[in-house]
Amino acid sequence: MIATRAAALGLIAAGLSLGVPATRTAAQGARITDPTSVVLIVNRDSNDIAFMDIASKKIVGKVFLGNNVNPHMAMMSHDGRWVVTGGTRANKAYIIDVANVRLAKTIPVDLAPEHLAFTPDGRFYYQGNPDGDTISVIDMASLTEIKRITGLAEPLNITFTPDGSKAYIGNYGAHWVGVIDARRHELLKKIQVGQVPGVSRLDPEKYLGEIKGVSNASISNDGRYIYAADGDLAIVAVIDTRDDKVVKTIRVGPDPWRAFMSHDGRHAVTANNGDETISIIDTRTNSVAATLEAGPDMTGVNFAAGKAFVVSATSGFVYVYDMRSLRPAGRIKIGTNIQLETATTDTADEKLYLASSTDNSIYVIDARTHGVERVTNVGLYPWGTHIMDSKDNYCH
Amino acid sequence: MMCTGMNRFTSLIVPWGLLSCWVPAAVAQAQAVSGQMNMADHRGGISGTVRNAGGLAVAGATVMSRNAEDGAQAQALPPAMPGMQDAERQALLDRIAALERRIAELEARGTAPQPGTSPVAGASADGSLAERLVSLERRLTDLESSTVLSEPETRVRQVEVWVDADGVEHDQPVPGARRVITYQRERVYRRQTINEKLGEAIEDAENRRVRIGVDSTIVPQGARRTEGSDTRTTGDVFALASADLFFTAGLAQYTVFFADIVGLSGSPPDAEIPSLSLINGYTARLVRQNELSLREAWLRTELFGQRLALSAGRLDLTNYFDQNAFANDESTQFLSDALVNNQMLGLAVNGTGLAAELDAKTGLRLKFGLQQSNTDAPNLSDSIFTLSEVGYTMTPFALPEGNYRLWFRTDNSTGSRATAVGVSLDQKLTPIVGLFGRYGSTDVEGGRDHQYSFGVGFQNGLVFSPRDTWGIGYSQLTLAAGEQEKLTEGYYNVQLTERLRFSFHLQHVFESPLSESSFGYLLPGVRLQAAF
Repeated sequence: MIATRAAALGLIAAGLSLGVPATRTAAQGARITDPTSVVLIVNRDSNDIAFMDIASKKIVGKVFLGNNVNPHMAMMSHDGRWVVTGGTRANKAYIIDVANVRLAKTIPVDLAPEHLAFTPDGRFYYQGNPDGDTISVIDMASLTEIKRITGLAEPLNITFTPDGSKAYIGNYGAHWVGVIDARRHELLKKIQVGQVPGVSRLDPEKYLGEIKGVSNASISNDGRYIYAADGDLAIVAVIDTRDDKVVKTIRVGPDPWRAFMSHDGRHAVTANNGDETISIIDTRTNSVAATLEAGPDMTGVNFAAGKAFVVSATSGFVYVYDMRSLRPAGRIKIGTNIQLETATTDTADEKLYLASSTDNSIYVIDARTHGVERVTNVGLYPWGTHIMDSKDNYCH
Repeated sequence: MMCTGMNRFTSLIVPWGLLSCWVPAAVAQAQAVSGQMNMADHRGGISGTVRNAGGLAVAGATVMSRNAEDGAQAQALPPAMPGMQDAERQALLDRIAALERRIAELEARGTAPQPGTSPVAGASADGSLAERLVSLERRLTDLESSTVLSEPETRVRQVEVWVDADGVEHDQPVPGARRVITYQRERVYRRQTINEKLGEAIEDAENRRVRIGVDSTIVPQGARRTEGSDTRTTGDVFALASADLFFTAGLAQYTVFFADIVGLSGSPPDAEIPSLSLINGYTARLVRQNELSLREAWLRTELFGQRLALSAGRLDLTNYFDQNAFANDESTQFLSDALVNNQMLGLAVNGTGLAAELDAKTGLRLKFGLQQSNTDAPNLSDSIFTLSEVGYTMTPFALPEGNYRLWFRTDNSTGSRATAVGVSLDQKLTPIVGLFGRYGSTDVEGGRDHQYSFGVGFQNGLVFSPRDTWGIGYSQLTLAAGEQEKLTEGYYNVQLTERLRFSFHLQHVFESPLSESSFGYLLPGVRLQAAF
């Protein structure tokens, strides 16, 4: 992987020294020589993955996946060679050749593939199939599904340990985190994140109507701890990855979506949609350092310029918090009558690329000045964005 | 490539991902070598070599032929998985059989089987693994197409365009063009299940209707005299029942209407115990027994990027001013009015008013409001209270968040302008424990009235059930005339369900009136609250 990355960087250097643009336009036959120069945009309703050049903010290529595919999340391989995505309504995984901006392979997987992750060595990619309660293991050498891991409950997000030995699976349809042996691709154990309170028997409407379990297992920078937020239980369980045991349970606001780790690793932020607050967890003490007002229907948290940016989907706002003082730092009005989805942060931690589905746009937010620039007509219903090597690549 | 027994098969399909660039060559060879159909084996067969445009053999290619007349298909498949062990093969066969059963169940439950999708079409039960897999994939595709909505969907979107001087519309800003909001149809390939469609329709209907909420509470309390004359009552039991009906409707962008109609019935302890502040905070709502009254009815709109919120109508200004995270709600926290709001605010009843809140979400909040607080006032100029407040949220000394507020009040209800000032603060010490405090002072004839209160609140820990809360508070109210009240209350609030709460309260009030001897009461009570 290191060698490949070096080669990719070499290409960038060559491109710069020769004065050749890293990307050519779609009209010329799209070709991307520098995978770090583009933002991936997942267009759910036009069923394509668009590549937007970061410098020019122009769409330089699109890969159409097929009618009614409805891609959900896209991710670039560590070497920048492939982009993978799951077609939620087609029950297929799609492998895109980045350099040539073309679909390389379609792989049937289980029901409703959504979130995904690459193993640290890039050899495999795990495709979560929440409706099938499985994870498809895709071999990136043969571009085939080599195994389907069963026994999960609405697996949403997948997190690998830095050494690639294990993967932690957030099961939204249960109150446990799945631990997978990533060498043998087998479910090793289920870690219960917390107990359902005894009064739950009095509230069948809440506990039996719809389950909001663990969306994501977020990992600390050193790979030592997993922070797993549980929606119904309103807690974050801290799991020690050495023995896979819950070492602390932190109570946060109601209905936390997931824990988002700050880039310096000092804080984890949960977006509590139950009471429209965020809980900022100090990861040194594993306690809530502050609970602050936010907005409705929060879908994600990005970090840049020493701040946290919280996306409130239906309000049209991004709420900002100073991560040094842990105080509110304003909110950014993106628009009215729009629905915001998720954002990615560039590798310099300077700009956010926020998908806005109902107006088919990407909003580029300057993290320092809070200035906003709109890029229109990127595709129909952009659902999420991705930048290679970004620390804020997530989906919802 | 050779095709045997296939003279009625006229088209040939090659998987796009594998052979798209070689199709012309492959098709040409297929047409050249078509032979006789073997009617005994109507599935036919394909065999031969697929070559690319350069004439080189292509390994692992799957070739499919389709009968132009009846759509029947046949495939030439690569050799079935060399090196596979018997056990692995059997396991695969078992999984495929299970899949076939599941798909057959789905086909039987959902729609009529599609032509060519029955288990025997294209692949027999004892066919090769790959053949059966292909059949499964085809049947699954058919199922996906027939059991969910796959028609392209048409939506209308608000779009932003730029129109130049010639009236030409551009998607991007161009020099000399003006920005225009318009609406445009979009045709999307969004496949949705019936459930999703129904869910969207229900949500849409919900958003359009007037929303109704109910908050019903009953508070039984007992009162035992602890100090004072024997002539005072003791051992009596009280109960007050309250029901609020809320109506909310969206009227325009960022504009809502809200109304609260309340009905109360019962006898609170305040009817017998002449305390300076209300022992049961709900008593403040009691206008007439067993009758409905309009408690609030206002319009709220948000301006300037939703930084400024304006509310106007019949208001309760205590909802906007003197807030406190641990002591500000008689329905979930302390019951005593002295621990719900600062008594120096002086607002007796709700009335016509206006409230403006400026909040840029930086932690700093500015508020201004005015309200009439007299049901007998002959005109809107009488009994006008004005309130101004500045509030700030901060995290001092590495503590969790705290809120600090300073307010100033004027009123003309006595004929001259009287003023009051107060603070309200709440500060979490840990995620579990927080402190609160209030102080207020108002000028009255002959001096100043004062009230201070403080206490501690617990949440997220040191509780029996995770969502329980509890607290202990103390209030002291001293009037310029010399009367004094000391009140202590502890409560434990159990959240039984999302909509049902039950709490225990123990209050002690000690009053020192001017005209008679001091007296004290201990008041245990419970509060059952349903909100939905």
